[in-house]
Amino acid sequence: MNILDIRNLSIILVSGHKRILAVDRVSLSMKEGELRGLVGESGSGKSLLAQAIMGVLDDKWEVDADRFHWRGNDLMRLSVAERKKIISKDIAMIFQEPMSCLDPTTTIGAQLEEAVDDEQLTGYFWQKIKQRKQAAIKLLHKVGIKKHDLCLRSYPHQLTEALCQRVMIAMALARRPLLLIADEPTAAMESTNQSQIFRLLASLNQLKNMSLLLISHDLENMTHWTNRITVMYSGQFVEAGTTKQIFSTPFHPYTRALVDSSPHANSTFEPKSQLTALPGSIPILQHLPIGCRLGPRCPRAQQACVNAPKVKNHHGHLVSCHFSLKETY
Amino acid sequence: MKPLIQVNNLSKEYKLPGHIFNRKTFAALFPLSFEIQAYKTLAIVGESGSGKSTLAKLLVGAESPTTGNIKLNGQELQTGNFKQRCQYIRMIYQDSGTTLNPSLTIQKLLDEPLKLNTTLAEAERQVLISETLRQVGLLSDHMNFYPHMLSGGQKQRISLARAIILKPQVIILDEALASLDPSLRSQMINLLLDIQQQMGLAFILISHNIGIVKHFSDDIMVLDNGKVIEAGKTAEVLAKPSQKYTKKLIMNQHFQLFSR
Repeated sequence: MNILDIRNLSIILVSGHKRILAVDRVSLSMKEGELRGLVGESGSGKSLLAQAIMGVLDDKWEVDADRFHWRGNDLMRLSVAERKKIISKDIAMIFQEPMSCLDPTTTIGAQLEEAVDDEQLTGYFWQKIKQRKQAAIKLLHKVGIKKHDLCLRSYPHQLTEALCQRVMIAMALARRPLLLIADEPTAAMESTNQSQIFRLLASLNQLKNMSLLLISHDLENMTHWTNRITVMYSGQFVEAGTTKQIFSTPFHPYTRALVDSSPHANSTFEPKSQLTALPGSIPILQHLPIGCRLGPRCPRAQQACVNAPKVKNHHGHLVSCHFSLKETY
Repeated sequence: MKPLIQVNNLSKEYKLPGHIFNRKTFAALFPLSFEIQAYKTLAIVGESGSGKSTLAKLLVGAESPTTGNIKLNGQELQTGNFKQRCQYIRMIYQDSGTTLNPSLTIQKLLDEPLKLNTTLAEAERQVLISETLRQVGLLSDHMNFYPHMLSGGQKQRISLARAIILKPQVIILDEALASLDPSLRSQMINLLLDIQQQMGLAFILISHNIGIVKHFSDDIMVLDNGKVIEAGKTAEVLAKPSQKYTKKLIMNQHFQLFSR
């Protein structure tokens, strides 16, 4: 069963009397226990999409969708309060730069205890205080921190970046979410720490059957961890499929360029040869091209690309392109 | 062939705060020596705290070394002689947005190193700036822009322009490619390789992305806790790492990659 089913979600930025379509009809569906990757460069609207799922966008943004279902509930029809109740119980999110997300003036212990919700606690208030402490320690054990006493007593600046991210994950786990959204959890981290965090997230996904939406700008980092990948470019849906499909037979020219552009540790490129790169850069929000937004940079662009392409489905491999690379394989 | 830059026994120690009879020092970098030739790239790999940024600071002259010396074309670089150093050794940082002064236009930004280090007249500087901008793939119209009007990739190109405008011989890239988006990163790599061929530059690449190191560099040096634990030709070291630490570093990245 799909726990999250989003069809044609649009996010519009309202500034003055101008309306800018920041995210243009993106679809995303997630099954239970799935580990899904969401890839896009900066400005592709992937963080916006995550924030729209969480419902934390402010008044400047308008969210509109044909279908927005969470475990069979239509979230668009619910009032804000009802929606908040469902989402805060079932979905949790962690952010990049964990140091800046934690309160620098309070200890980790106090922040973790705050995250534990009251429903899990029983008895009189002194019993509750004790249970709360126990729950915090248990959460730290879950994310692989063994020295819980030291960690609970310390302030965020005393911990390393990777430990802070673990604490963030622990806080996210406090309400036992069904879906965890990780928005670039390892940006600006060392590669050894990066793989530690990914391993932790993957094991939580396996053991707790928690669905995971992993957002990143780096396609090559995702490949080992995800089952399925969705690629976005400049607010538009590009391609979705299993990791293997995306990597070995990308149908969209943009995905193809992403796969080719990164020099891999085990690739067979001639050293110091020119890499394939798309010309130009990502368009800014004020000057979006019409139709397919990759158009001006795309090597296969033709006249038809001024109209936005429809999403085509080839055995579960979705692609949104008029001139997909399917025939070339 | 004569080496372009020669480093002998370079080391750095920091004094830790303490009592006068109980002074302790912290060795950030143990003595190391290496050579780089023109048209070549040396990659420095290591985790944070391994001393790679200290080495970059020593080379560029921001810190004075405890022991050892640096020779450029056989001539020793004195500490404190910034005129000489700024001309020949330039640096590009990780976050290019914050290294550009937001209150200056691109033209003024690029004019500053020229004013300080050359005796060119204003018209000549003007021509040189627009030429350099074209060399890094921007237009001379960008001269009148302010840094905030440019995208991340363009800002990185401006800092490259600022680095090459004095016709240096060595450029130090301190994680300069890490924060860029993949498609811009490959553009930047292509541009750097082009400029290296045109100008005969030597690059010192500080990075933790093994993929880029493998593609970009000729020689590699692996640092751990301030010590060089492995050095040699990139292809050989990556194919047959002898140290456990190097193996771990490579494994970590291989592990993340898809086996196609």
